[in-house]
Amino acid sequence: MSERTQVVRVQGLTIRYPGRRAPALQDVSLTVAHGERLGIAGRTGAGKSTLALAVAGFIPRIVRAAVAGHVLLDGTDAIVAAPGVLLGRVGIVFSSPSNQLSGSRLTVRAELAFGLENLGIPSSEMDGRIDVVTERLGIGHLAEREPSSLSGGEQQRVAMASIVTMGPGILVLDEPAAELDPNGAAAVAALLDDLAAAGTTILHAEHDPVALGRYDRVVILEAGRIVPAMSSSPAVEPLAWTVGPGRAGASVTIEHVSHRYPNGIEALRDVSLRIGTGEAVAIVGANGSGKTTLVKQLNGLLRPTSGRVLLDDVSTDGTPVDRLAATVGFAFQDPGDQLFERSVEREVSFGPRQLGRVGPQASALVQAALAMTGLTGERELNPYDLDRSRRKLVALAGVLAMDPAVLVLDEPTTGQDRDGVERVGLIVRAMQTAGRTVIAITHDIAFASRWFDRVVVMDEGRLEDHRPPAA
Amino acid sequence: MTGIATDVATGYYVAGSSWLHRRHPLTKLLGVLFVVVAVFLLPPAVSLPLLAALLAGIAIAAGLARSLLRSLRIPSVLVLSIVVVNALFFPGGRDVLLGVGPLSITREGLTFGLVSASRLLVVFVASVLFLFTTLADDLLETLVARGVSHRIAFVVLTAVQLIPRMQHRATGILAAQQARGLSLGGSLGRRIRTLVPLVGPVLLASLVDVRERTLALEARGFGARPGRTAYRVVPDSGLDRALRMALVIAIVAVIVVAITGVVR
Repeated sequence: MSERTQVVRVQGLTIRYPGRRAPALQDVSLTVAHGERLGIAGRTGAGKSTLALAVAGFIPRIVRAAVAGHVLLDGTDAIVAAPGVLLGRVGIVFSSPSNQLSGSRLTVRAELAFGLENLGIPSSEMDGRIDVVTERLGIGHLAEREPSSLSGGEQQRVAMASIVTMGPGILVLDEPAAELDPNGAAAVAALLDDLAAAGTTILHAEHDPVALGRYDRVVILEAGRIVPAMSSSPAVEPLAWTVGPGRAGASVTIEHVSHRYPNGIEALRDVSLRIGTGEAVAIVGANGSGKTTLVKQLNGLLRPTSGRVLLDDVSTDGTPVDRLAATVGFAFQDPGDQLFERSVEREVSFGPRQLGRVGPQASALVQAALAMTGLTGERELNPYDLDRSRRKLVALAGVLAMDPAVLVLDEPTTGQDRDGVERVGLIVRAMQTAGRTVIAITHDIAFASRWFDRVVVMDEGRLEDHRPPAA
Repeated sequence: MTGIATDVATGYYVAGSSWLHRRHPLTKLLGVLFVVVAVFLLPPAVSLPLLAALLAGIAIAAGLARSLLRSLRIPSVLVLSIVVVNALFFPGGRDVLLGVGPLSITREGLTFGLVSASRLLVVFVASVLFLFTTLADDLLETLVARGVSHRIAFVVLTAVQLIPRMQHRATGILAAQQARGLSLGGSLGRRIRTLVPLVGPVLLASLVDVRERTLALEARGFGARPGRTAYRVVPDSGLDRALRMALVIAIVAVIVVAITGVVR
């Protein structure tokens, strides 16, 4: 391959973040040809995101770090390029939707126009470009919705569209599918196929090399270096939850529950579901189908507009959230919504403290929760010093330490690498073995069918398998 | 996260289509500037009642009287303490109106306190009317279109959205704490003890937010090159241009009057 057609050349790249001893990348070199699709695989912390940021020209101008080496994009060094030089040539899509939207636009359409405005595209051409990309990603129907009212997966597709509409010749993707349901992932994969066929160069980082679509070639990162093959990980031992006072789980009954948000969106429509004590149930469904709205009814974070929720056949109506918390433990989808203490250990012990558990029993719960999530070694750290996937485990540990009768997990596996998913599965199994009821929202069908007794499907606010049979 | 706080993009905006809503952001911004200049440079006995009446009239005409009254809770403690502290401890106070033990309320102190507090209130009301009727996004577009640097425009946008964002965060963290057994009921002291530990995490989360939004704007090329176009043009009318001209003249006039001391 001639020198001329190599659009991305990374040469001897070493990057060290301030305050970190180990470099995030060490002497990484690779070349990606025009129109090639390169997969970048590796575990959490292997350096994938750092490589993605560097290729997109974010390091060191936006994200401070000490850099040695070069990132040449068609001959321009992204490490030293002035702002604007790379605009329209390289685009980056991140894994979490919350940090990718401007936050000031009132409709998805206007949000997508934001990048085009910065490129100086005439306003008469904008709608055409926006429509093409939103249709391809299956979000055309969301164009007039307010971005902040969308589900995480829907926002992620908007984020993807916001970069693709700008038409970059090099597209960098940092785990863009973490929040997507199977339909969303398929739409993104199809779009990437089209873009690659049209000559876009794609660098795509994922935990798992088979996560999304096709690659021409895969490189594997481990501890900041390119390695020939991914090392096999130490198997996570089966886990057991033995510290609780031995109380049983509780049954959950959802009776004809509907929920309408103040903005008029009807997120739940007459949902009924009974989950027995000690049962593990996964709720799957498309982004925006009402899964999170449903499980928030269980601990009173949201209340049914009509219908009712019963725990062990007692209605939760009128019982405040903090009282329900003694029975229902809820791990949020976004750890940022949940973490607020200055150390992992304090964070995990917040719940037991609030429930009035003190002394050796409380301490045993906290230690057990840390051990289950593999965070014993990080107990002294600030949760914000951990990456997002570990923060999610901190949030999960904080709920486990309350020893809930019913454990509710909202998308517990997003952003986790294979080991992390395995660990979450083992936690589900351990809690169920200890007699607890476990309810999880997930878009990972393989995870749902492997670790759960029953899988129910939500679609547009309805539970599919509870529809009356056709006459 | 369907349905949670759609308030960040809209900020303090109160949906409506009143005369004030339809004015160009720059016109309103100049209006606020005029109020600030007039309130501090003109004799308070004339300017304060006039401006207060003017703003009250605008608020009522725009259908914002109720929202405005509710917002006045925010500066109430500060305003009250300015009056009380000055009434009691004004250094130049001689004319004692009322003695309360070792403390005495002086006429000079009371006057100074009332004037300072009223000035603050008038400026607050003008700013709130601006925020109630102006979309943050319109403000951003206007500033950028007028050649204000992207950096400054981003800072202004962040400032306008800061409090709604922090409220959003605080609500989220509070819900998370309740979900882990935190009880919000009980005595005032208990409530305060509940809220104080929130300050740190909310500030931290806000800083993380700003950092993440910087990445988002960077990825979309905000400010990266000149020649930016606009998808939606913020409407600007002849009336707005005339008003802005009038406001600029008025601001200059107030400054001239203040410097030359024509009105005393």
